[in-house]
Amino acid sequence: MNRSFTKEEVKAAGEGTGRRAFIGLCFLFGFIILFLRFGYLQVLQAETMKLKARQQHEKPITLASNRGAIVDRQGKPLALNLDVSSVYATPSSIDDPAGVAHQLTQVLGVPREPLEKRLRAERDFVWVQRKIEDAQVKRLNDLDLPGIDVVVESRRFYPKGTLLAHVLGFAGIDSQGLEGLENGYDKHLRGQVRQVVLQQDALGRIIIPENRRKPQPLSGHAISLTIDEVIQYMAEEALDQAVQATKARGGAVLVMVPKTGQMLAWALRPTFDPNHIPQASPEQWRNRGVTDPYEPGSTLKVILAAAALETNSITPDTLLYAGDGEVPISGTVIHDHEKAGWLTFREAVQRSSNVAFVKMSWDLGKEQVYQFLRTFGFGEKTGIDLPGESIGILRRPDQWSLRTLPSLAIGQEIAVTPLQLLTAVSAIANEGWLMKPFLVREISDQQGRSVWEHVPHIRRRPISAETAKTVTDLLVNVVERGTGKRAAVPGYRVAGKTGTAQKVDSETGTYSSTKFVGSFVGFVPADDPQLAILVVIDEPQGPAWGGVVAAPVFRKVAEQALRYLSVAPGDESRMVASRSSS
Amino acid sequence: MPRVRGNKIQLPLTWNVVTDKQASRPMDRTVLIVTYLLTLIGLIIMFSASGVMAETRYGDSTFFLKRQSLWLLTGLVALHWVAQRDYGVWKTLTPYGLFLTFLLLVLVLLPFMGTQVNGARRWFRLAGFSIQPGEIAKLAIVLYLASFLVRKEQDLMTLTRGVLAPMAVVGLFAGLLLLEPDMGTAVVLTLLLFGLLFLGGARLPHLLLLGLVLLALAYMLIMQSDYRRRRLLNFLDPWKDSADTGFQLTQSFVALGNGGWFGVGLGEGRQKLFFLPEAHTDFVLALVGEELGFLGTGLLIALFAILIVKGFKIAGQAPDAFGRHLACGITLLVGIQVLINMSVVSGLLPTKGLTLPFVSYGGSSLIVSLVAMGILLSISRAGPPDRPLSSFGMG
Repeated sequence: MNRSFTKEEVKAAGEGTGRRAFIGLCFLFGFIILFLRFGYLQVLQAETMKLKARQQHEKPITLASNRGAIVDRQGKPLALNLDVSSVYATPSSIDDPAGVAHQLTQVLGVPREPLEKRLRAERDFVWVQRKIEDAQVKRLNDLDLPGIDVVVESRRFYPKGTLLAHVLGFAGIDSQGLEGLENGYDKHLRGQVRQVVLQQDALGRIIIPENRRKPQPLSGHAISLTIDEVIQYMAEEALDQAVQATKARGGAVLVMVPKTGQMLAWALRPTFDPNHIPQASPEQWRNRGVTDPYEPGSTLKVILAAAALETNSITPDTLLYAGDGEVPISGTVIHDHEKAGWLTFREAVQRSSNVAFVKMSWDLGKEQVYQFLRTFGFGEKTGIDLPGESIGILRRPDQWSLRTLPSLAIGQEIAVTPLQLLTAVSAIANEGWLMKPFLVREISDQQGRSVWEHVPHIRRRPISAETAKTVTDLLVNVVERGTGKRAAVPGYRVAGKTGTAQKVDSETGTYSSTKFVGSFVGFVPADDPQLAILVVIDEPQGPAWGGVVAAPVFRKVAEQALRYLSVAPGDESRMVASRSSS
Repeated sequence: MPRVRGNKIQLPLTWNVVTDKQASRPMDRTVLIVTYLLTLIGLIIMFSASGVMAETRYGDSTFFLKRQSLWLLTGLVALHWVAQRDYGVWKTLTPYGLFLTFLLLVLVLLPFMGTQVNGARRWFRLAGFSIQPGEIAKLAIVLYLASFLVRKEQDLMTLTRGVLAPMAVVGLFAGLLLLEPDMGTAVVLTLLLFGLLFLGGARLPHLLLLGLVLLALAYMLIMQSDYRRRRLLNFLDPWKDSADTGFQLTQSFVALGNGGWFGVGLGEGRQKLFFLPEAHTDFVLALVGEELGFLGTGLLIALFAILIVKGFKIAGQAPDAFGRHLACGITLLVGIQVLINMSVVSGLLPTKGLTLPFVSYGGSSLIVSLVAMGILLSISRAGPPDRPLSSFGMG
């Protein structure tokens, strides 16, 4: 440098008071800027940032309740939950999808290629296999594959297998009710799905503050059925035997408490195991008791008899001419299987005379027949607490042909569900009161407290108590002397009616000469009915008479159920005669 | 002996060992109290910030608290010990300190000596504790520059001996730091050089020239390293890539905003739950903001502002040039780091990797900062320049 400085200059500069003040002010200025900046971020931006903070700190979680149990009227479990393990993968933490897929395939037996594809997915979560066996869990744990984890889930389990399967229905893999009561009462069984907001850390792990409890899933409500597991078992066993013996396509046994409409048993064939839905088909799990109308044949005569008696157009002793054994109807002929000559109405019911009933229906007339069928609940839902109920087929009189009325007289040109028929017949057993059938007796909460109880519901009264009594006598006569002899239960007065209906051939649209439905509907004890039972045997091979294929099933179920329920016989003298003890 | 200042009688604290004839006053209480307050707040918030992380990583939520407490205790003892001694001794120690620091900075680069964390080799690991030579270098450079300004007062006006010579020394250190890499500390050293040359009386054109050269160097460095460039560009709009490069800054904003005026409460912060990276070190201030609110960050800004103002005041009252330059250097050292750290946390500067003095976790940083405060307090004890500046040329 070509300039020299005086010592004073240097000293003044070195002391640098001015420069120090300048730097100090710079710092102060910096601090003021920072103060304003933090104020902006923490006060003005607070709302926006708090929202963002909530979004990332809070994790809304859907807490599904444990599905409520289904128990029978004695509290025995019919559907409950088991904890099972499911495997899921976190694809982002799997380095070797091919290798992992290979190992998983060996343990779980799942197809390799679709699995590997899922493991390569750009997602944080994929199911590998739901609901696996304990042994598989153990093997997976031993393998300790990265990115593969096991969670415990709840699985629906039906401890009795096929028992009551059609009524129970089943729940899907996410515990959603799909069929039957599982579906119909899904809302109650499932319970509340609660949205809970939990705190999470950046890794998505839930933070539970020490002073708070981890929210526990609630339990859905339990439902108790009117079904009695024991009677159900009796019904299923008797039906199984009959279906096997007759090589029938299927069948149904429905047992109802006529005075209340409570269902005690509901057996259908073919059946399925709700624990193994993938192996079952809709054909098997459809609840034909309410979904499939069929032509009831002679069992419908019970209703027509009641109608005729109620209108006073006939008495049990009225004479009807059925001598020819056939009656011409607009081109065709309706037959009896034997020529009977003059019959009292009582005998006509006893023998199930088609000719007599056709003639009687003409006396009754279209409107009355239609009205009575309607008041007995045909052509409408019974209102049972099951999903998918059919109303059957009952056309309005203005759509009837000349053949319709005589056909109805013998249970044709009408289709009813088994439940409709049983409910209608139960009205006769119940002094004329038509009840609403039901399956669920009570709904109770997690602690077992009752939250809802099913009160029997009277729908209407199609006939008087007097008429009901008269019809009952006619039906007792059927079992004691007529077509229903094989339904007789020793020691009890049984009222009932057989039915043998030709099925309509779906190809030709005419009645088949080979496919029949043999049925029996009745109640017992006749004087104080405790059980109303319908037995339907669908397409039995060999003799198809209801009195042959169905009546014995009625007897078997009624006999066992009466004993199980300790029902006193209606007639003291007969009881003593048949049962020496007690 | 009692001195009358204003109408107050002040006695030297009895435990002050007067070792220097210059010592004629008690140490500056404001600086002492502010230092204590800052370290205390730091210890509490650092524990809150690191507890969950320490529990997860080491199975012991007090892992960082224990270590930091030990460092703090050691640092405070060192502070008082240093404060009671004549700061003049540091001038004789400077050449050795400088050489030792240089050695450490070289050694830490050697793979078998330094421990690598997150791709940077900045630490020696000794018996469970980490020592960061970069932190020591800060104080060493302050001491070097202070003694340089005293020794070469005559040459200061010249470019070669006055400006380029210290620049070469600082440049050597900064270069070693960049090799670790530790750009934050390198920047601090460079700013120290600038600040002290400016305060020491260097000519403005020289400084301007120096500044231009350094800016060009910085530009080259930034553009050459991909991650530095991304950091720089990203801080301008962190929300654009908030999931990746902007993650730390946006999470810092969320923490600050979530705190609002008064904070969510001590220990109640959520951002430390792995949302905010480096919550207990570089971004501890964001945690202060979340848990204690604007009240907390404002208080810290105020405390640091008081410290800086006091530091320059002490420099002005220093009895000799070395004391004055040293006090300025220490004040600059703290002030620069605070301004940079706070600016980074609030998004005014790109992420640097600098801790907040006294508050962030880190033993080397804390001890060096406390020793620096001890020196500052020692200078504050020395009498006002009411005597001739006899220390010129003293070596």
